[in-house]
Amino acid sequence: MADIALKSTGINKVFHDAVNLQVLKNISIEVKKGEFVSIVGKSGCGKSTLLYVLSTMDTDYEGSLEIAGTTVTGKTLNELARIRNESIGFVFQFHYLLPDFTCLKNVMIPALRLGKLSTKEVEARAYEKLKMFGVEDQALKKANKLSGGQQQRVAIARALINDPTIIMGDEPTGNLDSKNTGIVFDLFQKLTKEFGQTIITVTHDEDFAKKSDRIIEMADGEIKSHG
Amino acid sequence: MKISVNTEIALTYLSARKKQTAIAAMGVMFGISMFIFMQSLMKGTNDYFEKMSFNSTPHIRLYSENKVADNHMLKSYLKDPSVKILTNPKQLIQTQGLNNPYGLIREIQHNPQVANVTPQVTADVIYTSGSVQINGNVAGVNIDAEDKMFDVQSNMVTGDLHDLNRVNNGLLIGKGIADKLSLHVGDNITVTAGTGSPTIMRVVGIFATTVKQVDETKSYANIVQAQNLLGKDRSYVTDIKINIKDYNNAPQVAKELETITGYKAEDWVQANEQLKAAFKIRAVILNSVIGVILLVAGFGIYNILNMTIYEKIKEIAILKAQGFSGPAVTSIFLQQAIYIGIMGGLVGITCGFGITYMVSRIYIGAGTLKYLPMSFYIPHYIEAVCFGILTTVAAGFFPARKASKVDPVTIIRG
Ligand SMILES: Nc1ncnc2c1ncn2[C@@H]1O[C@H](COP(=O)(O)OP(=O)(O)OP(=O)(O)O)[C@@H](O)[C@H]1O
Ligand SMILES: [Mg+2]
Repeated sequence: MADIALKSTGINKVFHDAVNLQVLKNISIEVKKGEFVSIVGKSGCGKSTLLYVLSTMDTDYEGSLEIAGTTVTGKTLNELARIRNESIGFVFQFHYLLPDFTCLKNVMIPALRLGKLSTKEVEARAYEKLKMFGVEDQALKKANKLSGGQQQRVAIARALINDPTIIMGDEPTGNLDSKNTGIVFDLFQKLTKEFGQTIITVTHDEDFAKKSDRIIEMADGEIKSHG
Repeated sequence: MKISVNTEIALTYLSARKKQTAIAAMGVMFGISMFIFMQSLMKGTNDYFEKMSFNSTPHIRLYSENKVADNHMLKSYLKDPSVKILTNPKQLIQTQGLNNPYGLIREIQHNPQVANVTPQVTADVIYTSGSVQINGNVAGVNIDAEDKMFDVQSNMVTGDLHDLNRVNNGLLIGKGIADKLSLHVGDNITVTAGTGSPTIMRVVGIFATTVKQVDETKSYANIVQAQNLLGKDRSYVTDIKINIKDYNNAPQVAKELETITGYKAEDWVQANEQLKAAFKIRAVILNSVIGVILLVAGFGIYNILNMTIYEKIKEIAILKAQGFSGPAVTSIFLQQAIYIGIMGGLVGITCGFGITYMVSRIYIGAGTLKYLPMSFYIPHYIEAVCFGILTTVAAGFFPARKASKVDPVTIIRG
């Protein structure tokens, strides 16, 4: 179906440590284009692990994953890199900017990698994104000179730079005050409603989850409810 | 030109750790400047010794070789293989010199590779002055041709070599002879060849080569004088000395001349085997030293890149999460290696040239060797750059590949 942004079928993942630990158990989910989905669950239930699989970064799983109608399971690492660059934006649980670069450069890098726009255009877009989250005045500072909340906002701006069809966040608002959480939420909603982008985000913030289109509940590596 | 994002990241990483970058680049610089310096010194020295050997040795020397007596003439006369002939294998003395030397010279000059040809009469002699006698040899030459081929003029200490043409019984003697017999220009000296009668000659000049043994034995006379010393006629010539256009072709031209003339043609490579051996040994020493230096420089680069990758592993993971593929990451780190190489290389070339130039100005003054012979040879610089790039790429390759294999999930999860 054309309006399915992401679909997973029977995903299992086992960590082979001292003991075999099955972290994901038969996960089959479907997210429509333009949907704003929250994933909730207890700490350690496998939310991050699932998100890494869905983002194509983790290829060590059983089952199959489709993004925008194409099966990505089994593609080469280089092909997956290209898909991530072009159509997936990711906000990590612990923001992760490149400390040697300015905030502006951090935001620009994925777009420069994609190479569809000139450096000038990319820079203008990056400024625009920073402005949306109120951190444009930090643009020329080195990333490691920012507060945690500022870094997180820059990281969200970076995830949006290539206008990805799917944006994934691992507690993207974990470090933000309620005002900024509100800004991020409103923006995410706008992206889904107006631009048809899809958002899948893990959150511990109940209000944030409730306001989203759908809540997927996880427990012990299983989907408890598809919302 | 738009610089790629990989390049931009590579440059940012390099400038973020300026000190380590500089140290790694210095390693390369050291390697490359040493490479250039050593190559220049070796080529300079080799060229110098080659030139030196051409100051006394022609590219090819044609002479009649003594032959061991054998029985092939007798055999062909008897025409009976069943007859066993017993012979005493003794050397036959070829006193005749070369047959029809001026005819040979004309023939040799027809060879398009030949540049200069000159005849020589060599005579073993005893020099006597007062009651002192020393052994030596007189080279009877056409001094103008000799000067053209061997630059005799550059070895002259006192006197005028052209006096050989003007002064009857003139003789140019080595400095060692002059010292031993305490002779000066204008003095008389008695020269006795084995088969001739003693002749009184006049010292018209003194020369000094770098070879002591030559200076203590050799003298030049007019070719006619040398023939007189030996009591031979005007057609008596012992050697024909030949210089050719490209001395590297000497062995092959010598072979051709041997078949044409039937005489022994010795090329300078045969005559200077120890020189060639010395060249080879020097090349081995040089290449090992350069190899070690470049290896150390390579380890410097390997080290800094490994450190960078260790420190930046999280960032590599982020880049990959954002869609940088393995080859893109390889490119980022390989480029760092290459920039270190280029920086070190450029400075290294300049330093190498500087050191070479400075050393070439050091006065050492041994014999005719006033300054260390250094060559300024462009291919050395090109080679140095190639080796530099090769080393940096080789050193950067493994760390870069390691970086490209970083698994983003493992790293980001922590
Ligand atoms: N590399 C690993 N090897 C073995 N077990 C792991 C590894 N990484 C994670 N786990 C385990 O997998 C389970 C799921 O981890 P995950 O990070 O997905 O949890 P989470 O739901 O994101 O938790 P949180 O809300 O605290 O971020 C946990 O029990 C964790 O201990
Ligand atoms: Mg998590």
